[in-house]
Parts: sequence; structure tokens; C-alpha cells
Amino acid sequence: MEFAELIKTATVESVLLSCVGLPAVKGTLCITSHHLLLSSCPGGDSQPGTVELWLLIRNVDAVEKRVQNLGWYQPPRTNGSPRDTRLAGSSGTITLRCKDLKVLQLEIPGMEECLNIASSIEALSSVDSVMMMYPFFYRPQSLKLEEGWNLFPLEQYFQQIASQTSRWRLSDVNRDFTTCPTYPPAVIVPAAVDDDALRKAARFRQGGRFPVLSYYHPKNGTVMLRSSQPLTGPNRKRCREDEMLLGTVLDEGERGFIIDTRSAQAAKQARMTGGGTEPKSSYPRWRRLHRPLERGRPLQESFIKLVEACNDTSINMDRWLSRLESCRWLSHVKAALSTACLAAQCMDREEASVLVHGAEGTDTTLLVTALAQVILDPSCRTLVGFQGLLEREWIEAGHPFHLRCARSAYSHARLKQEAPLFLLFLDCVWQLSRQFPFSLEFGEHLLLTLFDNAYASDYGTFLCNNEKERCLCKVKETTHSLWAWLNQPGEKKKYLNPLYSHNALVIWPSVEPQSIQLWQGLFFRWIRSSQYLDEAWAEIERLVEGNKPPVKESAGNRLSQSLSDPAARTENER
Amino acid sequence: MEFAELIKTPRADNVVLHRPFYLAVEGTLCLTGHHLIFSSRRQDNAEELWLLHSNIDSIEKRFVGSLGTIIIKCKDLRIIQLDIPGMEECLNIASSIEALSTLDSVTLMYPFFYRPMFEIVEDGWRCFLPDEEFELLSSVTDEWRLSCINKEFSVCPSYPPVVIVPKSIDDEALRKVAMFRHGSRFPVLSYYHKKNGMVMMRSSQPLTGTNGRRCKEDEKLINATLRPGKRGYIIDTRSLNVAQQARAKGGGFEQEVHYPQWRRIHKCIERFNILQESLIKLVEACNDQSHNMDRWLSKLEASNWLTHVKEILTAACLAAQCIDREGASVLVHGTEGTDSTLQVTSLAQIILDPRCRTIRGFESLVVREWLQAGHPFQQRCAQSAYSNSKQKWEAPVFLLFLDCVWQILRQFPCSFEFNEQFLIMLFEHAYASQFGTFLGNNENERSKLKLPQKTMSLWSWVNRSEELSKFQNPLFEANSLVIWPSVAPQSLQLWEGVFLRWNRPSKFLDEAHEEMINIIKYNKELQAKVNALRRQLAQLQTVDRMQENLRHTQLGIVSSLGSSSVSKLHTVLAEAGTLTSTQLCG
Repeated sequence: MEFAELIKTATVESVLLSCVGLPAVKGTLCITSHHLLLSSCPGGDSQPGTVELWLLIRNVDAVEKRVQNLGWYQPPRTNGSPRDTRLAGSSGTITLRCKDLKVLQLEIPGMEECLNIASSIEALSSVDSVMMMYPFFYRPQSLKLEEGWNLFPLEQYFQQIASQTSRWRLSDVNRDFTTCPTYPPAVIVPAAVDDDALRKAARFRQGGRFPVLSYYHPKNGTVMLRSSQPLTGPNRKRCREDEMLLGTVLDEGERGFIIDTRSAQAAKQARMTGGGTEPKSSYPRWRRLHRPLERGRPLQESFIKLVEACNDTSINMDRWLSRLESCRWLSHVKAALSTACLAAQCMDREEASVLVHGAEGTDTTLLVTALAQVILDPSCRTLVGFQGLLEREWIEAGHPFHLRCARSAYSHARLKQEAPLFLLFLDCVWQLSRQFPFSLEFGEHLLLTLFDNAYASDYGTFLCNNEKERCLCKVKETTHSLWAWLNQPGEKKKYLNPLYSHNALVIWPSVEPQSIQLWQGLFFRWIRSSQYLDEAWAEIERLVEGNKPPVKESAGNRLSQSLSDPAARTENER
Repeated sequence: MEFAELIKTPRADNVVLHRPFYLAVEGTLCLTGHHLIFSSRRQDNAEELWLLHSNIDSIEKRFVGSLGTIIIKCKDLRIIQLDIPGMEECLNIASSIEALSTLDSVTLMYPFFYRPMFEIVEDGWRCFLPDEEFELLSSVTDEWRLSCINKEFSVCPSYPPVVIVPKSIDDEALRKVAMFRHGSRFPVLSYYHKKNGMVMMRSSQPLTGTNGRRCKEDEKLINATLRPGKRGYIIDTRSLNVAQQARAKGGGFEQEVHYPQWRRIHKCIERFNILQESLIKLVEACNDQSHNMDRWLSKLEASNWLTHVKEILTAACLAAQCIDREGASVLVHGTEGTDSTLQVTSLAQIILDPRCRTIRGFESLVVREWLQAGHPFQQRCAQSAYSNSKQKWEAPVFLLFLDCVWQILRQFPCSFEFNEQFLIMLFEHAYASQFGTFLGNNENERSKLKLPQKTMSLWSWVNRSEELSKFQNPLFEANSLVIWPSVAPQSLQLWEGVFLRWNRPSKFLDEAHEEMINIIKYNKELQAKVNALRRQLAQLQTVDRMQENLRHTQLGIVSSLGSSSVSKLHTVLAEAGTLTSTQLCG
């Protein structure tokens, strides 16, 4: 397929771009294979224009068109008047609703141009083939292709654990993705379990996702494992190897907790379709806790409803609050945080190991295991550590980003497998950062950037659904990594929290409904100007910057040097 | 009456104090005339809790065996629990607290007994006098005058002795206007907008009644504030319906036929028990322990509190807009002109006038637009959200105003000299205080109670640098612009600092705040040091240059004069040298 075929009209002159909170600008609109550009020419045609808009077409979630000035319409005469005169005075408005929740309006002179542009954007934004996506074409000069792809090797994470215990080993049973297509090639498993047993346990778990180590708690040696549901089915099938695998995690006399992210009812029903839960009789040392978390379509609908309510400018206070309530987003945030706290509590307070799973083990499971680590582990709260956590617990763990983030809250397309689980995770991390303003090294800006990039990106990091697909698409060889870009010194500064100071403790968030707030920085980002809040942050940053010891000292040194100079001269002259 | 008569058991030992987010502590409970004092005797962690009886909103007692429990709910929304061994002690203490916290007589209140432990630098009772305010005004316009018509509170009992009125209206006319307005609150100047000379006035409703009575002097008075050919706006804080109904009771509104140059806009702001009930419901929702998100949000919604915040802010923005954008003068009133009227006029000033966003400016605003303007604090703040007794005149009008200010502060974090703590402090003192500032319902009552002579002013305490530093916003940078807050429902938030203050752990937020203050303080110190060093450097450089010059002159003189004067010049030089070294040492 050629992109050119999809572009019916490549440029249109004097298009008016408007966007809430910004003055409207007029300019020339261009469509390229991946971008929508609008450049205005303030000093006449001869001068180079300034680019006012540079929008990745992948970021467009919905295109709405409206044709105006139909008053100009005259019925065509039978002898056939030229079409152009009929449409000459007409114009159209295209509303672009983006995945990052921004809304743009383009007023385009000429009905035909308008329709062409709209359908081109529509076609380009719904190209589904991964290999056609922009990251495969993006070649910035400041970055090298291979940079950032191997920042967080699992071997390194394993070495940290191995330095404290020898009960775990790195297995490459999945090196060619045959055991579990959604796992990375290397996983951490109990040292006592060999690869053969793993293969058998994999057959007993949905999608082959056998229990693997997610987090080792150095304080007391307990661990968090994650997997998918066991395939017990209606006949209560068992698997010795799976039982043995989980058994070796616990010491003599120890008990563990299985946190099932479905309700007991849903877990029972899953048996009808071949799934199920770990029965008490076969796993006597594990206690099962059910903590239902929303997933799939209801979660996507909650997101859609919330964004709708946020964008409704006509509503009054009562309706706003009842819509906020009825969309249930904050309930989902609360539930996710509570469950993560439970997992963390089991490990830190009860000193018990934990296995987390739901059905597939690629969505709510990861939400819980990743959040629990942010709560427990101070190293996950640094900028680099958080990237490592995302890499390990979301990207390599096989969260299907391509499916889940194909569409955002505005799309009119039929929902398929979209669900904002990653956004929900980011929201929960934001709640943590609000309650513990000192303990996270990164700020809200990073969370926003991650959200934007998960839905539409110049970089390959969030492409595909798992490592196997990334391998097939040669993502690591032919696209740039988001981390390489984020970690450039100039860029990195923007994401740091100026108030950060290392906090070695576990941070227990309050999950009372009164403590959970709407993430305004995300949901109101394009609706309400944040100018004054941004200024306040800039001021805080400036103050903190001014206080850094090296700067202070050098300024002081310089001053005292220049002070001592004239003094010395006066002394000499006497 | 003697307080001792009311105190049946002055002291109880082995009492256990429970507070949310603190470990329970055991200690001794003492009752005095005005305080409930709890002190733990533990050596390692001596702790004292002093609670004003007037801060207690309601008290509940429970018994388990002979162990009694008293739950004390305070007007600042805090809830504490005391376990008292011995049924009789417990009952005695409970009934004493009940009696002491519901004293009716103003003169028995703590401010009349309070003797400050700090040195008074500036007497708060003498700050913010109307004359000062008028002086500022008369430097920019001469269209207004200070009238002493109300010197003996004879014309309007709820107005201060002096008010600012149009120059062209004499006291005789004012007296007539006063008879035409509810409670005699004739239109007075509330704010003069320097940028374009437009004004905001406030009053109470006109007494048109069912017959459409009119008053020529009233018409003349408010027309005197208009520029030729200009129109003004009357913002009525009631709905049209309510305003029309008021006619049946002798009240009413300005009719178009008699006030053709004025356009009336109705903005409905709730008052009285509707507000009080809203507060009660909101606080109940905030204390809800059910851990259910839907329930929390629907209770928050049902309380309607945020709706009231939005209505008030919207009306204030409208008033500000008329003045700043439309270039029109504004008259604000509701019924009595002592509640929603003041909310609107004072908030509009915060939006328009950068001075009101400084600490002193805000204090002055509270004095002018609330205390002197006759907001009945004593009636409105007699009880808070927990009280079980029947409501009379209570309404959280002032708290709503503070909430609105907080909303603006949150949206413009760099534009205010004060911080959230300052607003919370004002809320606390409006409901229970050791200072006399918020006692009484108007200036008339305050002067009868001789408050300035017998009690201490809140401002005397706040305006000392030790206290001020707690209330300063470290991010403040004077912003001379008008600040237009967003009033979309999505922009308004629950004021956690007041409503969730006692039921959320604030340790980390407090630490963050403290850290910020430290950083800023340190920054200032360093800045001062750098400035001092710079000055010193500049000084040394001038001395250096002087010497250079001196040397050149000396050489010139030496070559022209004989050697006899050289020794003399040497002494001069030596003197200059000593000068330099003393300066260096300094």
C-alpha cells in the first residue's frame, strides 16, 4: 500500500485552525503520510511560514466534518453547470479529536477539499498495520537507533535478586516464544523448577502464562508472582508441576496469598470456558482473595463517559458531579489502588508471598503488580527505575498495547479490544504522587508524556502487543526507543520532580474515596489553561535550582575571588 | 455568675484521648472557665491540648460499664474522643462542657478574659480605619466624600459611623434614602476601580412594597455615580421570583421606570438555613467512613456546597466584568445586604484589585466589607456543622466566601501574598477565638461592648512577623492584573484544607510545604548574602579607584613641588591606607 493513494488532497490554502484557549491562526494545511501540518505565513507568501501545527495523524481519534454555507447551493441546471461554481462559496469544518484528548478545529474553504481532507485523515489514522506506523520512518539526528533498547535487561534485575538469594534462576525456556507467546524470552522462576516442568505448567495456564517472579521484596525475602488463570475447567483438572512450582515458593509452614482480580462469581464462571481458579484442595498453603477490578469494555466506556463529562461546557455543578460519579472512573482508580495496597500489605506486613492473576494475566494483573512495586520499592520511584518497571511489568510482560490503545475516548469506531488499563495505572501513580509529593523523582509531566506515547508516538517503545511481535516487526532494530529520547540530559530535566528526596520507606496511600481526586492535569489538559499552575511549578523549580550546592558555591567563590583581588592590590600598594 | 458554679468536676485523671491519625494518649483532663485542657504526663512525649469551650459545637456521651466516653465535635470540624473512668466524673464533665460551651452572654466570652503573652507592636483596633481608606480614594477622585451621618448609629444601626457617599448628596438626602432601604442600609461606596473610575456600591433592597413606592433621593443618589450617557448595572442576589415576592413584605427591587439608566440582573445566591444545611450535609459526607466511591460522590453532590461556591463566584465575576470590561458602575444588593451582597462585593474586589490579594489588603477587605459592613458574625457563626440544637440565624456565609477565595488562590497560586493557612485561620477565629475581632454583629454592638478597650484584636496578633511568616505564600509575585477565575464546575474543588483537614493524614503534604518554605527562606538568605558581598565589592572598588587617583595626584605634586611637602603627603596617603584597612575589616 502506498500512503499517497490515501491522500486525496495534499495541500489547502487559507485554512483556519482553532483550538480551545489559543487564538485562531490561518495558514496552509498539508497532509503527509504521517503528519498533518499547518504553516502560517505572517509576512506574505515570500517569507517562510511558521509551523503552527504538527500533528501525528496516528494521534487522531475521531474526525467529524460539517459543511457550511449551503445557502449558496443552487440546483444544477439540466444543461449541466460546472460543479465548481456550485461549490465556490462553500466551506467546511473538520473537528479533529485526538487520542491525547486534545480537540482541534479546521475551517477549510471549499466543500470538496474539506471532504477530501477529512477522508484522507480518516484513512491515514486508521491504518492498522504496525509496520506502516511512523516510528518505522522516524529518524531524528540526535539519537542512534540501537540506543535505549537494552537499558533494563532482565539479567541485571535478576543479578540484584541473585545477590540476596539463590532460590531463583533465569530461565530461557521461552527463548523462541514457543512456551508462551506473550512472555519475553527470559523469565525468572524458582531455581528448583526445571524447564520441563515449566513447559508443563505453561500448558495448564491460559496463554501459557505460567507463574513467574514479578518482584522480590528485599526487606523480608517475600515475592510477588504473576500468571494467568489455571485451566482447571469444569472437570477440575490439576497440574502437579504447577502445584509444585507454587509450592517451592513457600518455605515449610509458610502460607501465601493468591490475589484474583476477578470476583469469586466470575472466577467460578470461567470454569465453564476452560479457565478457573486454584482450588483449595490442590493448593492447601495458598489463600485465595478475590478483588474484582474492571477491565475491557466497561473500563473503556468509563473512560469515554468521563471525557465526555469533562468536555461538557454547558453542565451545572449537580450534573457534573453526578456524571463524574456515574462514569465510575474514580471507583476504578480506588479499586486498583486498594488491590495494589492489599498485595503490598501481604508482602510487607504479613510477610507472605503473593501470586496475582485475573483471567489472561495481561491487564489487571499487571496493573496490580506494577502499582504494588511503586508502593513498596523506592527504586521504582526514580525516573530510571520507573522506566525499568514499565519495561518489565508492562511492555515485556505482554500488555497488549497495540490492541488496548488503538482508540481513545473519542472514537466512533466499534470498540474491539480497547481498554485504558495503562492510563488507569498512570492515574493511580499520579494519586500516589499527589499524596507523597516528595517520594517520586518524576513529575506529572512524565505521566502525561507516557500517556501520549502509549496512544500515538514517534517511538517504537509501545508498539505491538508483546515481545514476540516486536521481534517479528524488528521494532528494536528499526525504530527509536522512547527511553533514549527521554533520558537525554536536556529532555530529562523536564520530567523531574523538583521536590524529590529519596524516601526508603513503603508509601501507603490513603484509598478513602475522599482522598482520590480527578487527575485534572490529564483530563482538563486541553480544556482549561494551566498557565498559572505551570508558572507556580516553574517558580518552585527555579527556587530549588537556585539552592543546589554547586551553583551556590561557585557563585560564592566567584564573588569572594573578586573580593580578594582588590583587597590584595590595596595591600600591595601600601 | 461564676464559672466555678458550672464546673462540677474540674479535673479527671487517667483520661485517654483519641484523635484520628494519632496514637491514643493517657493524661489528665482539666476544665477551666474557658478551656478544656488535656495534658499527658509522659516524660518522653509531654503533650498538651487546649480547646476553647466556645469551639465546641456538640458533645456526645456513651458508656461501656463504668468507662465513659465523650465525643467532642468542634466548630473547626475536628472530632476528638475522651475516655473517662468513672461514670459520675464523666457525666459531670460532659454536663460542665455542655454548659460552658453554650454560654449566651457575649461578655462572658474568652476574649474578655484573655491577656496576651506577646508584645503588641501595632494595635489591630487602630488599623484599617475608614479615614485611611478614604485618603487613598481622595488621591484619585474628588467625587466622593466621607459622611459622619451615622456617628451615633442613629441612621443605620448596622453601618459603621462613617461611610463613603457621592459628594453631591448631602446628609439630609441620605436620611431620606435610608428610610427607603431595608434596615436603613442606603447605597454606599464599596470599591472604586482606579483603572476606569467605575465604582461598586452596596445597599439593601429598596422598600418599594406592593404600591411601587419610589424615593427621588434614592434615584438621585445612585444616578450620581454614573457618567453622563452611561448605564449601570444593579446585581440583585435573589432570583426575580424571590425579589417579586419580597414586595408583599414591603421590600422589592428598583423598577425600570424609575431607574431607567440601570439594568437589573438577578443572580440567585442561597442564604440562611439552606446554606447551613448544605454545610451539615457536606461535613457528614466528608466524615463518611463507608469507603464507597459512588456514595461519596453522590453525597458530595447532594450537599450542594460546590454549587453554592459556583453561584457566588459567578455573581462576583459578573460584578467584576461589568466594572472592568463593560466600564459600568455596579450596585449590589439582596434583601438585607449583609450576607450574599458582601460575598459578591468582597470577591469582586479580590478579582479586580491586586491590593486585596496581599495580607494587609485582605485584612483590610475583611474589616471593611465584612466587619464594618455589618455582617452579623455572632449570629451566623454561633454554631457550626455538628450542632444538634435548633438553628436560628446560623449560616456559613463567611466560610463560603473563604472557600471562594481559596478556589481563586488555587487557580492563581502566585498571585496571593497569603496562603491557605491564612484562610483556615480566619475560618477558625470567626467561629471561636481568643480575640474580640469577630464578636458582635456590627460596629454598633462592638462599640457598646467596648471591644477595642476590653479585648485584643486578631490583627494585633496576626501582624507580628513571627505569625505572619506562617501565612505567607512563598510563591507570591505581585500581579497587577485582574484575575478571572474559571467557574466551570470542573474547575471547582472541595476545599480539603478545611473539610478533610482532620480526616486525612496530612503529614506528607505538611512536610512538602515546610520544605518549600525552607527552600525559599534559604534562598532569601543566600540572596541577601550575595547582595552584601556585592555591595562590599563595589565599595572596595571605589576605594581602590580613589587610591589610584590619589597616587596620580601625588606623583604630579611631587614632581612640581619641592621635597619638603612630600612627607606631608605621605601622612595623607597613610591615612587613606588606614581608611581602606578599617573598611576591609568592617
